Amino acid sequence: MRRALGIGAWVLAVAAGLGLFLLLPHLVSDFHSRDLARAGVFFIAIVGLNLLTGYTGQISLGHGALMAIGGYTTAALVVHEHWRDVWTIPLAGLAAGIVGFIIGIPALRLSGLYLALVTFGFAVSMPSLLKKFSGLTGGTQGLRFLESAPLQVTGLTGKVTIFGHTMTQNHFLYYLTWSIGIVGFALAWLIVRGRLGRVFRSVRDSEIAAVSSGVNLAATKTFAFALSGVYAGVAGALLAIQDEIVNPLSFTFLLSILVLVGAVVGGLGSLPGLVLGAFFVQYLPSISTHVSSRAGVPDFVYGAAIILVMILLPTGAGGLLRRVARPLTTWLYTRP
Amino acid sequence: MSRVVVAILGALALATVASGAGTATPGVTANEVVIGGTIPLTGVASAYRTVGLGAAAYFRYVNAHGGVNHRKIRYIIKDDQYDPAQTMDKTRELVEQDHVFAIFNSLGTEHNLATRPYLNAIKVPQLFVASGATTWGKDSKQWPWTIGYQPNYRAEGTIYGRYIAKTAPKSRIGVLSQNDDYGKDLLAGLRNGLGKRAKLIVSTQNYNVDDPDVQSQIAKLKSAKANTLALFATPKFAIQAYRYAFQLGWKPKVYINTVSSASNTMAFAVLASSKKQTEGTISIVFLKDPTDPRWAKDRGMKLYRTIMKKFKGTNPNDVYNVYGMSVAHTFVAALKKAGKNPTRDSIMRAARHLTIRNDPFLLPGVVVRTTPSDGFPLDQARLERFHNGRWRSFGGLFRVR
Amino acid sequence: MILAFDWTQLAQQTVIGLSSGGLWALLALALVLIYRSTGVINFAQGEMAMFSTFIAWSLIHHGLSYWEAFFLTLAISFVGGVALERVVIRPVERAPVLTVVIVTLGLFFLVDGAARWFWSSETRSLPNAFSTRPITVAGVAFSIQDLGNIAVSLGVVALLFALFQFTKLGLALRAAAVNPEESRLLGIRVSWMLALGWGLAAAMGAVSGMLTAPALASFDQNLMQPVLLYAFAGAVLGGISSPFGAVVGTLLLGVFVNLIGTYVDWIGTDLRLPAAFAVILGVLLVRPAGLFGRASVRRV
Repeated sequence: MRRALGIGAWVLAVAAGLGLFLLLPHLVSDFHSRDLARAGVFFIAIVGLNLLTGYTGQISLGHGALMAIGGYTTAALVVHEHWRDVWTIPLAGLAAGIVGFIIGIPALRLSGLYLALVTFGFAVSMPSLLKKFSGLTGGTQGLRFLESAPLQVTGLTGKVTIFGHTMTQNHFLYYLTWSIGIVGFALAWLIVRGRLGRVFRSVRDSEIAAVSSGVNLAATKTFAFALSGVYAGVAGALLAIQDEIVNPLSFTFLLSILVLVGAVVGGLGSLPGLVLGAFFVQYLPSISTHVSSRAGVPDFVYGAAIILVMILLPTGAGGLLRRVARPLTTWLYTRP
Repeated sequence: MSRVVVAILGALALATVASGAGTATPGVTANEVVIGGTIPLTGVASAYRTVGLGAAAYFRYVNAHGGVNHRKIRYIIKDDQYDPAQTMDKTRELVEQDHVFAIFNSLGTEHNLATRPYLNAIKVPQLFVASGATTWGKDSKQWPWTIGYQPNYRAEGTIYGRYIAKTAPKSRIGVLSQNDDYGKDLLAGLRNGLGKRAKLIVSTQNYNVDDPDVQSQIAKLKSAKANTLALFATPKFAIQAYRYAFQLGWKPKVYINTVSSASNTMAFAVLASSKKQTEGTISIVFLKDPTDPRWAKDRGMKLYRTIMKKFKGTNPNDVYNVYGMSVAHTFVAALKKAGKNPTRDSIMRAARHLTIRNDPFLLPGVVVRTTPSDGFPLDQARLERFHNGRWRSFGGLFRVR
Repeated sequence: MILAFDWTQLAQQTVIGLSSGGLWALLALALVLIYRSTGVINFAQGEMAMFSTFIAWSLIHHGLSYWEAFFLTLAISFVGGVALERVVIRPVERAPVLTVVIVTLGLFFLVDGAARWFWSSETRSLPNAFSTRPITVAGVAFSIQDLGNIAVSLGVVALLFALFQFTKLGLALRAAAVNPEESRLLGIRVSWMLALGWGLAAAMGAVSGMLTAPALASFDQNLMQPVLLYAFAGAVLGGISSPFGAVVGTLLLGVFVNLIGTYVDWIGTDLRLPAAFAVILGVLLVRPAGLFGRASVRRV
């Protein structure tokens, strides 16, 4: 009986979530859907980072750079090869996944702080590298879809038609980003619940114990990096598609920080809170500017908010959700 | 762009107009004109925020005196944190959510390049871009809804090149330039101005904005045996250049770009090196420098200081405020010219037919002028030489082209 | 061939590298101190140093001499560091490491914002601590200031060494960082040890800022951001748990970055930073705890 209730509650929650996803753009202004789509981009990157840092314990300060790989792959394919923007997404994810894998190899030898530094170095170096290879990347000016390949932009006229259904470009971007986000989330959920998730967690909790129980440490860790990279690459591609430009100034170390903050605020090592992490990172800057736009005050408020959230919720929103849900799940799943 | 693309983008324009506020001209009501732009209010480039804040102060002054044709000017500044992706986002917000009449005084070369195709497609004026790139004036035919303002960097570099070619044709020139469009344009201009003598440039060194210092670059320029230094750098690095040249015992003749030539910056340069090191530095100028004693009693600068005090300006010594007021003054003139019931078409036409002689913030004699074939509102400047700790202009006004 | 090579340029660029590295070393020491006493990299260390620099500027502006302002700022920064630890870090003392890292990132924005709020963003300058008169030896130019900065770094290393090795307080600091639980049992007030560590690091950061600002000829709120990067890299290269390693690491990094930028045209100044990180990666692969760091041995 309780099992049935439990499953029922679960189904209801998922249905409510999906319903909200479908209806949300119609509840807010058309332009606001764009902001929501941007939050979706962060969501995807955060889920990916969480798989790496939350579940295998490998810290990465370089996810913004992996997003850059994805974004620039999309932009290069659109502008140089005249691909349709949305069809570049898989390749962008793959490219970032490969780079993630490459980073994962030296990461095998490093841990904690040293891994943080190396990924930090990657993030910090990305703008310089992007500026240097200007033939491919457009250098300091970046790549602009509307100027160089306008026909490849979905929704150029402001309206997009899919399966006979017409919607505004803003709505299209929202649905595109969050559909991919939901799929990515579901995939992460399956991984985490399954054997691979257990292997990941064993690596995080004790590498020695993991090895002694037969886990292939090298394969697991590099795979986690690659998988996490794919998420970041897809997020970067969606960002490029949304903004219709890429530029080195958009992919500084700050972006890597934002993704990390979102993952920790959302809750490392758990999935449910990550949506909140994405919204936190998306909306906090503009809220800070609303408090006051006087010089320095928005940054001050922004920093204070991050600190406050971490003090109040040291395990992030996910930790809080788990604490709140525990009595319920205990009641549902414990034999009387 | 091909005709097909223009047609598609035109359809986009129609779609946006149709979704507008319902009035004939978005952003214009009986008592208000709403304009907006993006400025880096926060982040590493936030020192440029006064370009927007100075303009905002001037608009408050104009509004206090009745506005333009009984309409007050509401100027919305949005923070893009110097990130072109955010510039796109915030500009879209200004157009699609705030329904502004025009985009005004947005800052940044890459940033305005990003929004230019969008704004031109939907026929929203991109007025008086705060960037010194040449393209705002040069490519008017392709982008009719975009116009710049300040003398462009390439033209400035050309002046220095021509001057050196004429007055010191045996110089050995070393260049320190910032690794972005601003630095690259100045360098391209220098080469252009030198013409056949472009080989006078013996070494070019660049730096990134997030480099801690340029000691290494100055040492390399010295070891290339340059006797002339072209400083295409922002204030922090220009001051360092003087210091490190002094430390290395190197006394080149310096040409410093106008972004770094404000009197208070030069005062730091003197402190950091010596009077001798800065003696004879040459630059060009088109704005009145608020820290320069020669404008202490000037009527235009008195107005400037009054506005800064009464209308919530920030630091009056910041020359970007003067720039902001000048461009705001030009906008007001264009708005007046656009008629009793301005439309986007009429303000664009006004912006391309400007003749403003009385800008209180520009050098005496500078005329803000545009014609359909001349898309550069400001293209006059004077040469000035730094002597005994002060700037002195020499020669007359000339065209910076 | 040997005669044709410009030895003077090599020597000069090396000296410049030491001069730059000497500046970064001071901040690197602050990072090492916080790491050793709390196990965390404080991303806000640079901004705290910058804030201290502005305090010093204000004191001088109000009439104090450079050295009066210097020591007063040291004291204020020490108190500030302790206060920050008590208010912001203490609540998350027992939280996962990454939570504390995020808190220091939040602190980065907070302190940076405060500095832009309390002081306008115009260019300022600080008087020189040491003479900047150029000295030329064998065609290579440098100044007392360059030597002075390196000397201060080494002096601080010596002080830290003395503190940690020879004083009870230092012992308590080390114990609290390595094994908080047992230290509590021994009566060490672990919490206050952490606060002390932050206070000392803040004071060292203040020194770093007050020497960097005059060395770079002018300063504004962006002063320490590039320095933090190199300080972090140099500290890890040298071994994040070793103060001496931090100094050697940043000096080596400064020299390397300069020389590779000078002699490899393709890298030039554009790719100096990526090149530096590539080399650090290489070193870490061979010596995963840095040049002078002590690798933690994993016993099963």
